[in-house]
Amino acid sequence: MLGLDPIADRAVLRSRMGILLQRSGFSGDLTVRETLRLWNGTLTAPRSVDEMLALLSLEQRADVRMLALSGGETRRVDLALALMGSPELVILDEPTTGLDPESRREVWRLVSDLRDGGATVLITTHYLEEAEALADWLEIMHAGRILRSGTPTEIEAGYPSTISFVNVPGVPDDLAGIRRVVHQHGRTTLETDALQTSLSGLLAWAALNGVELDGLDARSPSLETVFLSIADGRERAANPPENTLTHEEEGALR
Amino acid sequence: MTTLAHRFSARRTAGLTRWNTVLLSRNRLALFYAAVLPLLPLGTLFIGERGSPLVGAFAIITTFLVIALFPVYYNVLSQFVSRRDELVLKRMRTGESRDAELLVSIALPGVGIALLLTVIAIPIAAALGQPLPVNPVLYGATAVLAVTMFTAFAYWTAAWTKNAEAAQLTSMPIIILASIGPMTGTIPDMPDLLRDILSRTPGAAMSDLVRLGWFGFDGPEATEATLTFAGTFGPAVGPLIVMAAWTYLAVVLARRSMRWEPRA
Repeated sequence: MLGLDPIADRAVLRSRMGILLQRSGFSGDLTVRETLRLWNGTLTAPRSVDEMLALLSLEQRADVRMLALSGGETRRVDLALALMGSPELVILDEPTTGLDPESRREVWRLVSDLRDGGATVLITTHYLEEAEALADWLEIMHAGRILRSGTPTEIEAGYPSTISFVNVPGVPDDLAGIRRVVHQHGRTTLETDALQTSLSGLLAWAALNGVELDGLDARSPSLETVFLSIADGRERAANPPENTLTHEEEGALR
Repeated sequence: MTTLAHRFSARRTAGLTRWNTVLLSRNRLALFYAAVLPLLPLGTLFIGERGSPLVGAFAIITTFLVIALFPVYYNVLSQFVSRRDELVLKRMRTGESRDAELLVSIALPGVGIALLLTVIAIPIAAALGQPLPVNPVLYGATAVLAVTMFTAFAYWTAAWTKNAEAAQLTSMPIIILASIGPMTGTIPDMPDLLRDILSRTPGAAMSDLVRLGWFGFDGPEATEATLTFAGTFGPAVGPLIVMAAWTYLAVVLARRSMRWEPRA
């Protein structure tokens, strides 16, 4: 890592890394500021406590004891520790799990800033839109094995676009480009290799027959498509169904 | 690349110790056990016959035992296991802090209180008619060895202690092992074999050293000071070896069984 041996050169390496664990704990009787000061005292070249409080929008909560914080606030303190040493390599294990949408945006902004500042960020996440928004490089992991690697565009290539709408009778299944038609949860989903062509065909058919397509939605392939098709493929294999919840995506950013 | 400074940083340890002290001071119950309880045995000096060496030895030995067990043993054990249970240790170990620094910084507040109390006991006892320690060097060495031994016992006990609550129970074996010697040490006419075995328990060795180092008592049935400064060193060798052996054993066992995260 960074040209160093993680065991033999631990001391040097740790001063250049920031780590956020999936779950970690704090002494509830210390305040936010005290927790940051404690950590500050363990680092070789720390950023100041006040700077970190501002960066994570924790100024208002600085003198509150850790045990009185919400889950999202605790997570922000945790992130403040991970970033306090100005790390070149940041490892974030599910940084936004349990955060409200606003805090999640904040974390995304922080991660983008880190990347723009030249740091390498390794994130694991269950949120597809997070991986899509942040990652330069993705590894899709299922049941402990990496099944796809590449940039988001590379990974999505080869997967179909989708058009979906509330079920209507008589939809033709021979529109140009259509690969597969799925009826599920009261909706019809058309999978296509040629989104524009298929959509034009569908709209022309609807106009000709005076059909209203409620809840019409057309989209290019997304990570969700890839992810679900991997999950489906696996589900049909011998794995028990609960394994489908263990998918993880890892995005390494540079 | 690995120098001593990389393996153990005194600056970092001092910083961590400071916050561990803050945490101890905010936990009323733990603070009572660590700082107030150990002073209570000195109260027997008020009640007992003024200046009686037997009363003095009883009070100081009991004080030593309580100091070793509460600010050091029980306190270090419960602080360590609760930090482990709360995943604080796991978080700390992702950073630059080294394991040895974490262990030392958790032990130091209790150890500091313990050593301070062994010093404060001297003027209090003197004011209540007791003699000053015959051999202060031996007395000091006993105190340092005792806190080291009971710190090691604490980290060993942590191996089978789930959380701070469980420590109330898991600490019992060591508390009994430590107390049995001082409790039975002065019983007269005990079979030699039994006395021999008991004298090799950690608490017995500790109280023998207090009787020697402070009061100059020669042997378990002595009731008055007969030894001088120089004379106390010879008889001290045996109990010092016993304490060193227990300390070594506890360190080896603690190192082998150390866990940093709650058991899954």
